[in-house]
Amino acid sequence: MSANESLTLDDLQRLPEYIALTRARHRILWPLASVTILAYFALILAIAFFPQALGEPIGKGVTSLGVVLGLGIILFCLVITGIYVRYANKVLEPLAQAIRTKAGDK
Amino acid sequence: MKLLSLFSAFAALLALITASAAWASAGARGEVNLTSIATFVTFVAVTLVITYWAARRTKTAKDFYAAGGGITGFQNGLAIAGDYMSAASFLGIAGLVYTSGFDGLIYAIGFLVGWPIVLLLIAEPLRNLGKYTFADVASFRLQQKPIRILAASGSLVTVIFYLIAQMVGAGKLIELLFDMRYEWAVVIVGVLMTLYVTFGGMLATTWVQLIKAVLLLSGATLMAVLVLAQFGFSMETLFVEATQVHAKGTAIMAPGTLVSDPISAISLGMALMFGTAGLPHILMRFFTVRDAVQARRSVFYATGFIGYFYILTFIIGFGAIVLLLKNPDYFTNGVLSGGANMAAIHLSHALGGDMLLGFISAVAFATILAVVSGLTLAGSSAISHDLYATLILKDKRDEQKEIRASRIATIILGIVAVLLGIVFENQNVAFMVGLAFCVAASANFPILLLSMYWRRLTTRGAVIGGALGLLTAVVLVFIGPTVWVDAFGFKEAIFPYKYPAIFSISVAFIGIWVFSLLDNSATAKQEQAAFDAQFVRSQTGIGAAEASDH
Repeated sequence: MSANESLTLDDLQRLPEYIALTRARHRILWPLASVTILAYFALILAIAFFPQALGEPIGKGVTSLGVVLGLGIILFCLVITGIYVRYANKVLEPLAQAIRTKAGDK
Repeated sequence: MKLLSLFSAFAALLALITASAAWASAGARGEVNLTSIATFVTFVAVTLVITYWAARRTKTAKDFYAAGGGITGFQNGLAIAGDYMSAASFLGIAGLVYTSGFDGLIYAIGFLVGWPIVLLLIAEPLRNLGKYTFADVASFRLQQKPIRILAASGSLVTVIFYLIAQMVGAGKLIELLFDMRYEWAVVIVGVLMTLYVTFGGMLATTWVQLIKAVLLLSGATLMAVLVLAQFGFSMETLFVEATQVHAKGTAIMAPGTLVSDPISAISLGMALMFGTAGLPHILMRFFTVRDAVQARRSVFYATGFIGYFYILTFIIGFGAIVLLLKNPDYFTNGVLSGGANMAAIHLSHALGGDMLLGFISAVAFATILAVVSGLTLAGSSAISHDLYATLILKDKRDEQKEIRASRIATIILGIVAVLLGIVFENQNVAFMVGLAFCVAASANFPILLLSMYWRRLTTRGAVIGGALGLLTAVVLVFIGPTVWVDAFGFKEAIFPYKYPAIFSISVAFIGIWVFSLLDNSATAKQEQAAFDAQFVRSQTGIGAAEASDH
């Protein structure tokens, strides 16, 4: 690996910034991934098991619950990616940059 | 340069052929559509000029495979959207909404939910570990030869099925729109995509995607706005009128027959969600940006553009219900002329006359061209970078030889695509995009994901599990209802479900897991020991392939 001669792999893994980086990433990554997967499969299962319920209009018109949830999940995906990119640029990137600097890379 | 003069000669010849073919052809409504011909000829001319420009800048392997690595996150996001928004999804989803309303939305959502997964799990480690293809990442700490053969097989199977679906779709669409012979249409698409990729590599392909994405997004926006304008910009009014004229009434606001049982529902969901993260032409795009920061920025923009596009197609589909069903001009013998997939095309005529029809038709053609170019580049890279360089060049790596192999592979793939497009003319190819997603989700995705995150993964586990996933996906699709019954004409399917992803993905993960754990070889120990170094690089970007400046 191209880590700087002065820093071994063990040193890198023991850097406080590295420990902070992996922790911070796990803290954001798994909740967001689980929420996305759960939301999507909840909708898919609702489509399979309760198609009638999804066809029910919300309010007085004909716009159905399914259409609202369906369009909602499209916006939801954008929100999820937005949250992650913001967090990654603010929190993860400075840590990664600090590690690269210490390792003499870039 | 010899190459460039060759290109100029080809391009001039092709421009002549296309122009004359387009001029000689008549529009869908029996007369020459000037807007359509003008838009299309302009698109071809501009993209060929770009290819000429790109060819002069494409010198190294990095230029050819990754456009030099200098594409920005925003450009790449738009290009990813260009690669992903195929004519099949534009015309297909609008057509599905036109026939069954809500069901069209199920596909649209499925195609979108893969993107957060790509962002959260794949994009950054992929950029930090790889150079040109996802096999670079999968084989990072495993044995090059077997892993690259497997990854290249997964890529090629995905690319070929996807290509067939696009080629047949292109042929049919152009035949209908321009009244051109089917074979002619397929040959023109094949020759153009081969020119873009052979001469201009990733740089030309990226710019073709960018132009196409802008054209498609503006065309669809215009249509959706024109539709909504007729209903006072109220979705509710649009829905009310649609339920009044549609034969299925308010049932179009609820799930219909697309997914009827839970197994199929989950299976389709898994194929769409995880397939996106295993499409070789999409994964390859992440190597065109400078670093992980730009990689994640690209996914954010791509998700925005693609999500916005699917909302537009949903509105367009409902617009087609209201505006077409009331007008007998668009029907022959009681069915929509050209089938439900033509709903968006007819709607463009209903909204803006011959002018909009011509523009949208040309945009649909441009869309197909861009998608097949991206696919061809991914396929030829798998052949040259993963197979030729690893198996034949071995330690005597030579960039120029590798690029030459890639160009030859592109020409061969172009010829194969044209031939397959002609062979499958009268087959139902709708299942092929589904199959491509299923293979991507069952072979490419598990190997890639586990190679990046699971320490215990070994070459043996990845090869056996990945191959099992790939085979299961292909075999189950063929003995399932879509091919066995619909295409081969047997009475009953051997395998009862239309979408086998839940089984093939499980087979792949369990296979990889079991055979990795059972692997006690010395190489397995080394591969597991190499995980830490790989993980540090994937998380921090230390040692990641850098962008070259021109």
